[in-house]
Amino acid sequence: MKHNEMLAMILAGGRGSRLHELTNKVAKPAVGYGGKYRIIDFPISNCANSGIDVVGVLTQYESVILNSYVAAGGRWGLDAKDSGVFVLPPREKADANLDVYRGTADAISQNIDFIDGFGPEYLLVLSGDHIYKMDYDKMLSYHKEHNADATIAVIEVPMKEASRFGIMNTDEDGRIIEFEEKPPQPKSNLASMGIYIFNWKLLRKMLVADMKNTESNHDFGKDIIPALLADERKLMAYKFKGYWKDVGTIDSLWEANMDLIEAPSPLDLSDPTWKIYTEDTNSLPQYIGEDAKISHAYINQGCVIEGEVRNSVLFTGSRIAPEAKIIDSVLMPNVIVEEGAVVTRALIADGVRIGAGAVVGSPDSEHIELISKRVKGDE
Amino acid sequence: MNSALGIINFASNHTKVTGLQDYRSVGAISFLGRYRVIDFPISNFSNSGMENIHVYTRWKPRSLAEHLGTGRQYNINSKRGRLHLLFAEDELDSLYSNDISAYMDNIEVIENSCHDYVIVASSCMIFKQDFKELLDQHIESGADITLLYHSTDNAKEQFLTCQTLELNRQKGVLSITPNRGTAKNRQIFAGTYVMRRDLFIDMIKKAHNTSAMYSLMDWVNLMCNEMDIRGVAHRGYFGSITDFKSYYDTSMSLIDLKTARSLFDPDWPIYTRTSDSCPTQYLEGADVKASVISNGCRIEGTIDHSILSRGCIIKKGAVVKNCVILPDVVIGEDTVLENVVVDKHVRINHIKEVKGTPEHPGYVKRGDHL
Repeated sequence: MKHNEMLAMILAGGRGSRLHELTNKVAKPAVGYGGKYRIIDFPISNCANSGIDVVGVLTQYESVILNSYVAAGGRWGLDAKDSGVFVLPPREKADANLDVYRGTADAISQNIDFIDGFGPEYLLVLSGDHIYKMDYDKMLSYHKEHNADATIAVIEVPMKEASRFGIMNTDEDGRIIEFEEKPPQPKSNLASMGIYIFNWKLLRKMLVADMKNTESNHDFGKDIIPALLADERKLMAYKFKGYWKDVGTIDSLWEANMDLIEAPSPLDLSDPTWKIYTEDTNSLPQYIGEDAKISHAYINQGCVIEGEVRNSVLFTGSRIAPEAKIIDSVLMPNVIVEEGAVVTRALIADGVRIGAGAVVGSPDSEHIELISKRVKGDE
Repeated sequence: MNSALGIINFASNHTKVTGLQDYRSVGAISFLGRYRVIDFPISNFSNSGMENIHVYTRWKPRSLAEHLGTGRQYNINSKRGRLHLLFAEDELDSLYSNDISAYMDNIEVIENSCHDYVIVASSCMIFKQDFKELLDQHIESGADITLLYHSTDNAKEQFLTCQTLELNRQKGVLSITPNRGTAKNRQIFAGTYVMRRDLFIDMIKKAHNTSAMYSLMDWVNLMCNEMDIRGVAHRGYFGSITDFKSYYDTSMSLIDLKTARSLFDPDWPIYTRTSDSCPTQYLEGADVKASVISNGCRIEGTIDHSILSRGCIIKKGAVVKNCVILPDVVIGEDTVLENVVVDKHVRINHIKEVKGTPEHPGYVKRGDHL
């Protein structure tokens, strides 16, 4: 493969506190999604499928599991010569104190030496929080065609929701003329997806200046993009059409999982030309019992199902005992539901056991119930 | 520590898995949805800490070579260990094509190995065995050769294309003979040999010089009177894939979760190559019972007592009963399949019924469009 023209950096430092107990032990990008994946499998697989060979993952919060997960680059095929997935937590350096990443831009700034080592022409900055399939190579072609200094991927959102996003206002050629973070009166519905391509030389200069600026939040949205616009640089908006979801809350994580059950699903994970890669487990195939009832479900290998599963997503190794019912729910890996238990509109965390006859969640709850501790049954 | 070179033999000339074997070696046949038969012996070696493994193949090697790849999936140390695919140079279907001639073709590789012992395992048997334990037992016994066997009380019905060991009271092997189905209780030979490497090399050369048609088993059988050859019993699940019927029966027997648990031990993982398929989608109308389902399938029909491999599509109204479906098969609407093995990449759209019987299961050829 050719030399690394574009290097990717994934911002994976966020805690994701609105995911509550799910992120007590792992950072948000390591949270499970879709029966077998972790959220970060999506940007890394997109990179691998787009022909990007070097991916830096910027970690910070609860990074042990994320680090060890990401460091095995072979999972995504990124283990050939001159390629790799590199875990980049904040480091102590000779000329600076050990510092946490103070913002998204600072995370890149603190790794300028790492990026320089590969001498890329372009830098792709991604967030590790979103579920989507995207060919970054197409975005790079767009960036080059338009001779842009930076290109930002945008997606059209319903106008009434636009005030929740960072909104790009563009001229008719797609050039960004204004960026507004969560505007009360949005002028457009083009939301930033947190996916940026920069000409590395220019960005490097901006970052060096930003590091010295004591007023700065060291953030791409708040500081770097506005500075580029003030400098009258050419920033282009790259319109993305397709499935894109921020899974920042229990409700939205549940919803994004449910999207996979639909036929046809808005997010097709069975496309052989754009697979999402993840760790493989040495699990058996699914064992479906004599009296099982399964309909409208998305189920991964290693599950043993003897009860009923309806409208639900089951991760690796879940066990559903006879007479147990799983309805409108998401079960993370190795959940055990004992005989006669009923789980409705719930998201059950890794390895939790639901005791015999227990009733969890309710069909008419406003929010999805998160169960992260053992639920005792009628013993 | 004693160490052994692992050798996985190809299927003998007695083995004929009709249909399936036309496209790949027995070791490369899809098994229980997500595995290949050869995953079992390789995982046994890997889990026993034996990381130098020679896999022999003779014809139609593509499927096997593709599946093994670099061998990384078998959890073998990538520097110290190695999974080595070795080819027999003989012509197809030649009478002289047997394991001895394949070992002779590759004798240098065997001679250059640094291990004191070899363990030869079959690529057609499904079982779990700690080879380290077996090696220790062999060394302790002082025997020249140790053979692994499995005792059955069903030899009239099962293992009919397998070999049996005739043992004396001290577990000394008197002979290796075909199972003729004349008695219920038999010791089925598991195709596993343990011996010193220098003895192995010596035997190969002698056998080869004596008759070009001898197989390793023939030679060991001849040596029963001259050498100290002993049997060690295997315990636990044991399945053989030595003909089409035994492939079907062995597959079906593992649909039962209790039986499967006697083979699959969380502390003894069976490794296989991942295909990175997504989970399986069960649509409205799906009705799945008593079955083993792999990832990447889309199910809208009925599945009963069957094994579904990766990437299969079962459309609305289709009924799949007592079947083994290999990867990437499409079963069209309202099609009824019963007691059939359906090979890879088959599409059944126009024919609405394919039925075999439990005694004579049917077979649909690889890539057929019906």
